[in-house]
Amino acid sequence: MKVSLFVTCLIDIFQTDVGLDTVELLEKLGCEVDFPEKQTCCGQPAYNSGYVDKAKESMKHMIKVFEHSDYVVTPSGSCGTMFREYPHIFKGDPEWEERAKKLADKTYELTQFIVDVLGVEDVGAKLNGTATYHTSCHMTRLLGVTEAPMKLLSNVEGLEMKPLPHNYNCCGFGGTFSVKMTSISEQMVDEKVQSVEDSGAHILIGADCGCLMNIGGRIDRKEKPIKVMHIASVLNSRS
Amino acid sequence: MMAVGQAHNRNSFLDNLAKNLGRERRHHVEKPNWTHQPQWEVLKGASQDDLVEVLKKQCKLIHTDIHETVSSELSTLITHLIKEYGAKTVVTWDDPRFEEFGLNDLDEELSNEQVTVHTWDREGAEENLAFSATADIGITFSDATLAESGTVVLYSDKGKGRAVSLLPAVYLAIIPKSTIVPRMTQVATEIHRKVEKGDMVPSCVNFISGPSNSADIEMNLIVGVHGPVKATYIIVDDK
Amino acid sequence: MAMKIGDKPFKERVSDGIDDKFMRGAVSSAQGRFRSGRLNAAEELGNWEDWRKLGEEIRSHTIENLDYYLELLSENVTKRGGHVFFAETAEEANDYITNVVKQKNGKKVVKSKSMVTEEINMNEALEKAGCEVIESDLGEWILQVDDHDPPSHIVTPALHKNKEQIRDVFRDKLGYDKTEKPEELALFAREKLREEFLQADIGITGCNFAIAESGTISLVTNEGNARMVTTIPKTQITVMGMERIVPTWEEMEVLVSLLTRAAVGQKLTSYITALTGPKQEGEVDGPEEFHLVVVDNGRSKILGTAFQSILHCIRCAACINVCPVYRHVGGHSYGSIYPGPVGAVLSPLLGGYEEYKELPYASTLCAACTEACPVKIPLHEHLLRHRQEIVEKEGKAPVFENLSMKAFSMGTASPAMYNIGSKLAPTALGAFAKDDKISDGPGPLKNWTEIRDFPAPKKDRFRDLYKKRKKERGE
Ligand code: SF4
Repeated sequence: MKVSLFVTCLIDIFQTDVGLDTVELLEKLGCEVDFPEKQTCCGQPAYNSGYVDKAKESMKHMIKVFEHSDYVVTPSGSCGTMFREYPHIFKGDPEWEERAKKLADKTYELTQFIVDVLGVEDVGAKLNGTATYHTSCHMTRLLGVTEAPMKLLSNVEGLEMKPLPHNYNCCGFGGTFSVKMTSISEQMVDEKVQSVEDSGAHILIGADCGCLMNIGGRIDRKEKPIKVMHIASVLNSRS
Repeated sequence: MMAVGQAHNRNSFLDNLAKNLGRERRHHVEKPNWTHQPQWEVLKGASQDDLVEVLKKQCKLIHTDIHETVSSELSTLITHLIKEYGAKTVVTWDDPRFEEFGLNDLDEELSNEQVTVHTWDREGAEENLAFSATADIGITFSDATLAESGTVVLYSDKGKGRAVSLLPAVYLAIIPKSTIVPRMTQVATEIHRKVEKGDMVPSCVNFISGPSNSADIEMNLIVGVHGPVKATYIIVDDK
Repeated sequence: MAMKIGDKPFKERVSDGIDDKFMRGAVSSAQGRFRSGRLNAAEELGNWEDWRKLGEEIRSHTIENLDYYLELLSENVTKRGGHVFFAETAEEANDYITNVVKQKNGKKVVKSKSMVTEEINMNEALEKAGCEVIESDLGEWILQVDDHDPPSHIVTPALHKNKEQIRDVFRDKLGYDKTEKPEELALFAREKLREEFLQADIGITGCNFAIAESGTISLVTNEGNARMVTTIPKTQITVMGMERIVPTWEEMEVLVSLLTRAAVGQKLTSYITALTGPKQEGEVDGPEEFHLVVVDNGRSKILGTAFQSILHCIRCAACINVCPVYRHVGGHSYGSIYPGPVGAVLSPLLGGYEEYKELPYASTLCAACTEACPVKIPLHEHLLRHRQEIVEKEGKAPVFENLSMKAFSMGTASPAMYNIGSKLAPTALGAFAKDDKISDGPGPLKNWTEIRDFPAPKKDRFRDLYKKRKKERGE
C-alpha cells in the first residue's frame, strides 16, 4: 500500500525523531512511504487566528502537494483534523471544493490509519514502563478518533497503561492561545500535569505534537520525572 | 367573554426581522415533521403497572414519599398521614373528585383531631391565599402524571387554585392510577391537540416534580425553598 | 446592571479570577457535579444524539421563521386578554415596563430569575421610578443583598460565593444570626421572601419558552419563586428575549427535556409552569393583568448572518459547565452577564468588539462546548468566525500578529520560502538554546517560555534526515 506522509511543521523542525519513527513504523506494517517534499503547513495557525485568506493560500498549496497520493497519513490528530476541514472551508468554491474533499477523504491520523485501514491492532511493539495517554481535543472531538490509540497501546508488550484522570480536559495549548493567553494556558497545563502525576504513570503518550510540546515543556520546567513520548515512537519501540 | 389585549409596535418589529432574514414577512408556515422523534421511544409499550414502578423509583430520587392504596382506603390513609405530619391546617381544592373518591367527610373526621380543613372557596379571593400561606398541608388531585420524571400535572380552574400546591409546607398529591402516562410528551401532545381543536388551555398548567429545592449555595441540594418543603404522592387504584 | 459588568480591562479581570482561589475551587467542584449529572441524564435516554438533533432542528426552524411565530404568539396572548409590547431597544422595554408599573401604582415588585432583565438593566429603571425591586431566586437574592454583586453563571448566578461568605452577607446586611449551613441560609431566605411575595403588587418573570400556538409562557424552575411571582401579585409582566419561543406545546416539551437534562441533569425541574394570559373568570388566584414584553436589543442584527445559530441557545449553561477556561478564570472575567463559551460568542454580538474583542481569543478551541450543547450550536466555530471578523473586517488584531501572519502565509504557501524559514530556525534560535531547550525565548516565544520550556529546533530537519536515509538505502 502506498501512503504519503504529511509530517507537519512541528515535527519537521522540532520533533524529527517522531517523523522517522512514523516512517519506520509504516514500513514495518508493509506500507510504501513517500514524503512529498513540497509540503509545508496545514494552515491551522493562521486559520485559528482568523486569517482565513492567508490560511487558504497554504491550504491550496497542500491540496496540490498531495493530489497524487492514495492515502495521506499524519502523526498529528490536530493537523489531520485540519485537512478534514478543508471542504468546509472551501465550500462553494468551484475550483477548490472538490479537490479539498478528495484530500479530506483520503487523510488519516496515524493510529486511525493503522487500525481502520490496515486493520492492525498489534504492531508488535515492546516498551517497558507505566504510561498514560492524553486524549487531545481535536483528535477526539472533531476527528472522532478515540478507540484506535488505546487499542494499539494496550497491545504494546511490557507497557502498563494507567487511566488519565479528567482525560477530557484540554491541556491548554490551543495554538496561539498558548502565547496570547499565557496566564490561562498556564492554569490549564498545570492541571493537566497534575492529572498526569495523579495517574501514577512515568510516561505520557500523546498523538499531537502541539499538546506534547505544551505539556512536555511544562513538565520540564517543573522538573517532573515524567517522560513525554509521541505514540509513533512508542509503537516503533522494540525494547 | 374576556377583553382582548393590545399588541404594540408589532409590525415594525416583525418587518425588521423579516428584512434581516432576507425575505418578505411570512404569514403562514407549515411546521415540518421532525426527522428525529426520540421522545416517543421513552417507556414505549410499558404497562400501567410498569409505569407505577418507574414512578415509585423516580420519587426516591426527587425526595418524595409515595404511597399506594385503593379507593376505599384512601380516606383512612390521608387522615393517617395528616396526623403523622402533625398538621393542624389543611387546604384542598374544590374538586368533584374528592367526593368521587370518598373524601367528602374528611373535614368532619379531622375536626375531632383539632385539624381545620379549608376547601378552596370560589368566591373568596384573599382568604384562600391567607389560609394557604400558613397552612400545614395542601391537597390536590393530579390531572395527569408523568412516570419518568415523577411529575404531577395540575390544570388550574375555578375550584382549583394555584396556591394549594404552592404555599403550604407540605404538598400532598392524589394520583388516580389511570392518570399515569410515560412522560411529558403524552401530556404536551394532548394539550397541543386541544389547542388545534380550538379549546382553551388552562390559565396555569403546573408540572410539579417533588418538593421545591435549590442548588444555589455551593451546589448543595437544599430541599424546601419557596414552595413546599415536603411532597407526598398517593397512587390510588381507580379501576 | 446591564450586560457589561465591571470596569477593569480584560487582562486584569482574568488575573483577578485566577487569583481567587475560593471561586476556582467552587467552580471546579460545581463543574464536576454538573458534568456527571448531565452525562447520567443523557446516558439514561440512550439516544441523546437523536435528542440533540431534534433540538437543533426545532430551534433552526423556529428562528428561521421567527417573525411568523412571534406574530402567532402575540395574537394568542391578546386573544386571552394579555398585552404584548415589542421592544426594539432596552430603553423601549424599560419605558413600557415602568409605565405599566406606574399605572398600577405599583410599589413593590417581586422578580423571578431573568437574564434579559439584567441585560436591559430593568431593575435600575424601576428603582429610579421609585419602586422597590426584589429578586426572589435564591442566588439572585444573595447577589442583590450583597450590594448587587454581578452574576457569574447564567443558571446558578452566585456560584462564585461560598456559604461562609453568604452567611456574612446575610449577617451584615440583614442581621442573620444562624450558621452557614445551606439549609439554615435557605430557610432564612424563605421566611424573608415569603413576606415580600405576600405584599408585592407586581410580579416580573423571564421566560424559558413561549409557546406560539396558544400564547403561553413557560417557566422552568426549582425553588417555586416563579410560581409565587405569578400566583400572588395582581399584575404580571413577563420579559422575553425575542428568540425564546417554540411553535407548539410539543416542541416546548422536547426543549424543556433537553434544558433540564443539560443544565442540571434533572429529568424535569421541580416546577415547569405554563401560563396562558391572566387568570380566567371565576379563578381566584393568578394575575388579573398580564403583559408580555418581547425584547430585541441587538438580537435582530444576528439574524441572517453566519452567527444566526447562537440565537438557538436555550441558556442551559452546559457549555459554561464544561469550559476549562471558565473554570480557571470564573464568570466575572468575561465582563458580561453572559460568560463562558456562549458569552464569548454572544457578548461581542450584542455589545460590540470594542468592548468584547478579547473574548473569542479566550479559548483553545477545544470544542468541549460544542460537544455539550444540547441544541448543537457549533460554539467553537463561532469563536473562530469572530476571530476572522476581527481580523478581516475590523482590522483590530495586534500588530505583531498581523505581521507574523503575513510571514506565515508567505512561508507556508511557498515551499521555497518554507525551506528558507525552517532552515533558519536553528540558527535564529540557536543562541537561546541550552541542552536542547529554550527557556527564555525571543518575540512570541517569550510568552511561551515564561511558563514552559521550548524545544530547540533540530540541526537537521526531518526532511533533511529523510533524504539522507533515502540516499543511504540507495533509493
Ligand atoms: S450555547 Fe448551547 S450549551 Fe451553551 S447555554 Fe446555549 S444552549 Fe446551552
